[in-house]
Amino acid sequence: MTSMQGDSKDGRFQGHFAEILRVEGKLALREPTGLAMGIGFPIILLVIFGLIGMAVPGNVAGTGRTVLDIYVPVIMVIGFISLGISSLPVTLVKYREMGWLRRVSTTPTAPSRLLAAQLTLNLVLALATILIVIFGSELVFGATLDVGIPYFVLSIILSISVTFSLGLVVAALAPSQTVASGLSGGLFFLSLFLSGLWIQPATVGGPLATIMYYSPSGAAVEALLYSVFNVTPPYTAIITMVVYALIFMFIAIRYFRWE
Amino acid sequence: MSPQQIPGLKDARADSGPVITVQHLVKKYGEFYAVNDVSFSISEGEIFGIIGPNGAGKTTTVECISGLRVPDSGSINIHGLSPHKDRNRIREFLGVQLQESSMPPRLKVGEAVKLFASFYPNPLNSDGLLETLGISHVKNSIYKKLSGGEKQRLSIALTLVGNPKIAILDELTTGLDPEARRETWALIESIRDRGATVILVTHFMDEAERLCDRLALINHGKLIVLDTPEAIAAQAGGKRVRFVPSKPVDDETMYAIPGVKEIERKEAYVTVIGAGDLAASVIDSLTRIGVHISDIEARGGNLDDAFVKLTRDDTSKVQERPQS
Repeated sequence: MTSMQGDSKDGRFQGHFAEILRVEGKLALREPTGLAMGIGFPIILLVIFGLIGMAVPGNVAGTGRTVLDIYVPVIMVIGFISLGISSLPVTLVKYREMGWLRRVSTTPTAPSRLLAAQLTLNLVLALATILIVIFGSELVFGATLDVGIPYFVLSIILSISVTFSLGLVVAALAPSQTVASGLSGGLFFLSLFLSGLWIQPATVGGPLATIMYYSPSGAAVEALLYSVFNVTPPYTAIITMVVYALIFMFIAIRYFRWE
Repeated sequence: MSPQQIPGLKDARADSGPVITVQHLVKKYGEFYAVNDVSFSISEGEIFGIIGPNGAGKTTTVECISGLRVPDSGSINIHGLSPHKDRNRIREFLGVQLQESSMPPRLKVGEAVKLFASFYPNPLNSDGLLETLGISHVKNSIYKKLSGGEKQRLSIALTLVGNPKIAILDELTTGLDPEARRETWALIESIRDRGATVILVTHFMDEAERLCDRLALINHGKLIVLDTPEAIAAQAGGKRVRFVPSKPVDDETMYAIPGVKEIERKEAYVTVIGAGDLAASVIDSLTRIGVHISDIEARGGNLDDAFVKLTRDDTSKVQERPQS
């Protein structure tokens, strides 16, 4: 067997991560369910609500907004939910269940780099979703957004934090892939409902609206809805997301197992 | 200290000081002692076998050595390092092949090996390794399309690609066909010939006998015997003569034959274990009482016999000739 000198010690650890990320990226393209859920689903919703918005012009409940305008934040949050709550934990639990995390942990690399690569990958997809939804809705379907950058960025960061950390809770608590799929499937539809995909909290009112506003996905939609029209989001929405994200991260870190 | 500076790593077989020392290793799962006070040391360049029945504690022992599990008590020393405290340093020169571990279904063979190569400071050439292992033709195949043997070889490739000084191989040839097993054996010998130390966990006695310099037999978490395969085989005790008698012969008559110490019966076959000119005395004595014997086979005790005897001795006493 011939021996080949490897990379020098410097930069090796960044090298590990770059190589893992590259391989994870290829795997994601080869098994594109995550991609389809994370980006495909928001695109489909964008087209549906875009067409509705064009067919039924203007003025939802006297706000001066089209249906699409109102739904832009919902569609973005649904993208984060698909990636963070469905795709991410199922992959991680699958890796754990098949012994892949354990296998990697026998090498000089830490399995946490696999986790970091998965997070990075889904984060990139989430950013792609944001760009597609914002520019798609404005350029293709003529939405009239007025994105207030500082609050928008803050709301996006918190929305992604809250959905991804909820996904990590699933990854931490689910003992098997079957349980993870079931759990994330349930949370997926619950989050979809609370985000206001079927009914908006403003229309239902009463206690249900309160529940929606104080749910992780509902708070995310609310904060983004204000931000995309350059209005300061209610502090309750921001604080709700911060609290959820901290709780979810605590649980995920406390209970995550590598094997 | 980087692995390159560890004394003796360069020319492994020249010096045979212990590379791995395990002392009074104990690992419990709840109240169950998976490993209970096991001690041994492994020399540089040795192929060290760990054998024992299922659930004996073999895998737990090597998992403790590879730093995947933390012992409850006892100590493990690898080149002066602790698998738990110095796990990062040890991982650079320790390759571990795990039992029952699979890979992402769509990961390609070549990608997996290159990925693992990127984790190590001085990896082997990936293509060369795939060639040596006879899986270069499936380099672009995804994991889930591989046959059992190809998956096993890929797993070996991932263990070796870091050019380890110590390789731990757990149930390496399980699920391989006889030809692939033989090729894998040759491969293990080539790893050793490169100067690496190999720990081989197996439940195949032929594999242990063929490959290992020394064997540790573990049962119920305890070390039963530690010796060369030949020395352990000798513990099987005496010769064996197996035959089919023309009519049934009771135990009492059998034990009366000079040299017979133990009797085993299986279907029509009777096997006597004992010493002296066993085959001749069995034929003599039985012919005298009008019993003809056929299908006679005489041999010395082997590792398989020793394994059965030693693991049985450990649980219940062997059925021995009654003292008269």
